[in-house]
Amino acid sequence: MTHETSILEIIEKTTARRHARRAFMKTAVGGVAAVGGLSLLAACGDDDAMSTPFPTPTPTPAVSTDVAVLNFALNLEYLEAQFYSYAAFGTGLPAASLTGTGTQGSVVTGSGAGFPRAVDFTGDPLIGQYAREIAYDEIAHVNFLRTALGSAAVAQPAINISGTVDGAFSAAARAAGVISGATATFDPYLNPTNFLLGAYIFEDVGVTAYKGASPVISAMYLEAAAGILAAEAYHAGLVRTILYARGVTNRDLITQAQQISNLRDAADGTATGTLAGGTTPTAGSASPDGTTASTGDTDQGIGGTNIGVLATGVSNIVPTDVNGLTYSRTTQQVHNIVYLNATGANRTSGGFFPAGTNNPNPAFTVGLG
Amino acid sequence: MTQTDQIIEAFDARARRREERRGFFTNVMGMAAVATAGAAAMSLASEAQAQTTGPSEVDVLNFALNLEYLEAQFYSYASTGQGLPNNLLTGGVGTQGAVVTGTGTGSARRVNFTDPAIAAYAREITQDEIAHVTFLRAAIRGTGTSDALIAAQPTINISGAAGGAFAAAAASTTPALTGFDPYADDNSFLQAAFIFEDVGVTAYKGAAGALINNKTYLEAAAGILAVEAYHAAIVRTALYARGLTVPALRTNPDAISNLRDSVDGTTDLDQGISPTTVSGQTVSNIVPLDTNGLAFSRTPAQVLNIVYLNPRSVTAGGFFPNGINNGNTAIRSSGAN
Repeated sequence: MTHETSILEIIEKTTARRHARRAFMKTAVGGVAAVGGLSLLAACGDDDAMSTPFPTPTPTPAVSTDVAVLNFALNLEYLEAQFYSYAAFGTGLPAASLTGTGTQGSVVTGSGAGFPRAVDFTGDPLIGQYAREIAYDEIAHVNFLRTALGSAAVAQPAINISGTVDGAFSAAARAAGVISGATATFDPYLNPTNFLLGAYIFEDVGVTAYKGASPVISAMYLEAAAGILAAEAYHAGLVRTILYARGVTNRDLITQAQQISNLRDAADGTATGTLAGGTTPTAGSASPDGTTASTGDTDQGIGGTNIGVLATGVSNIVPTDVNGLTYSRTTQQVHNIVYLNATGANRTSGGFFPAGTNNPNPAFTVGLG
Repeated sequence: MTQTDQIIEAFDARARRREERRGFFTNVMGMAAVATAGAAAMSLASEAQAQTTGPSEVDVLNFALNLEYLEAQFYSYASTGQGLPNNLLTGGVGTQGAVVTGTGTGSARRVNFTDPAIAAYAREITQDEIAHVTFLRAAIRGTGTSDALIAAQPTINISGAAGGAFAAAAASTTPALTGFDPYADDNSFLQAAFIFEDVGVTAYKGAAGALINNKTYLEAAAGILAVEAYHAAIVRTALYARGLTVPALRTNPDAISNLRDSVDGTTDLDQGISPTTVSGQTVSNIVPLDTNGLAFSRTPAQVLNIVYLNPRSVTAGGFFPNGINNGNTAIRSSGAN
């Protein structure tokens, strides 16, 4: 094989890999994911597409974009920090870290099988070490954002991180097809493997949220936001790497990660498809954060191609487009995922945020219509 | 202990952990800092000058392109035994150079992977880095068809043979990584990859501010930043997990991290992967962050200190034996540290 042929093959395979994945999405969620993916790429390569001036947020002009965006991020960090803190330490965040504007809520822990508690990592100490590291990082993010926002910080809204039968984790796993039946539960605190899958639900979403916010945040907070973006990407990379490494022998993990990605892709309103439960998201409306909802594939599983084949296997730890860039999500798309709801009827709350997120700009609390 | 106390103690412990690292680095670097004090004063003047001119957006993208050439060539050789095609290496800025592969033991070549997962990671990262080269070239080219604004690939040394850049890096750590051949096997490959990945994260984060007036470039740079962080996490997670049974796979990256930190100035901008004990429990360090949970930033000059393998202000060395290619001379020199 010549030098050039080999590299061209790699490049072609990259494209093929993305296309195959996109085709899979198309099958999985139905609709125009493939076409949408190309639209997204076109947007990425087009100077004009993203240099559109940021429109003034209309609902409450008194609230600066930075305050709205940082508070949007703070809601997500509350969610992540509470999940990891319970999983790693068996306790939530101290009360002093939860106060602020808006209606403060508590962590809906539920009761019975699946309630939030410390995961028993004794049989898998490495995962416990990772869990504690990520927990400390997410708590640091909560504190950092609260400090940056000062008196403008929102209170923690009600958060549901329960794996009980009516808990948000079970609802997510049910919608993804990881579990089936109204009485089935997904308990992310049951064992280290379930913990990894639970973590997988959030991590890539944080990356896309911070990247999506990058064009609208002011110079004052840009570098800090980039620093959190990097941290979330490290976390996501950590979780995906472990799931893949174990998935080489336990293929269920690869399948389940793909199912969760498909759920996120369907829920974020970019693919014309249906969530389990039969709702049809609406594609691509303008978002209050100044970006335009992309209309394609914004998520990928970890399997890649030829899993476990030494000579040809290619993993997919990093979810990227053909340009090798991670995806962006608008605040609306992120809400669709954490609300586990892409319908117009109930788009202000749901899933992990049963009372919605808190934000002085209400436009930053809703999903796609 | 109450929950609150436990959390607060955890915080204090994390802060202490960073402080301990910082103290260690200060000691290690003390002598070098004294020796180069005169040069540092000069550097302040030149930095001030650079700020007044300021790199253009194309300069910043070309700076990133040089780093991507390096990463893409390394991963490409490691996963396929071959480098990038010439049509991805040409450009109107600077002199195009070749890849110095070296010969014999340590020369750049396809790694004989034995773990399918590590081989799969290597191929994936190769694809991503080549995509970054392609993307940055297209972004710099813009709407035209001319390559005039694109930095050509400079000479790149990715050899682990005697006299090669990897050999020089391995000899510069404390303790030295003797007999280090980056292409020998899975573990060697991971350690070699460790040298670059976190640096890319800090470089893109440091460049974010320079791109703020072009939202297209900014969002794209954020996208590459994230990818580099994912890559770094792959490498660090794999090393940490393997380090459970092979302790050197944690201590060697620590030594490499210290090397990076010792050449890029007095600020602590780097962390190894070895665990710490917080509230009596072991905590990994996959993610190098400050006490706010934020990744670090590096200036172009600090990045060049690392890839030139030199704490002083120089214009070439290490992985770039003829320096990087850039239309702005102000961002071709490493910092005086």
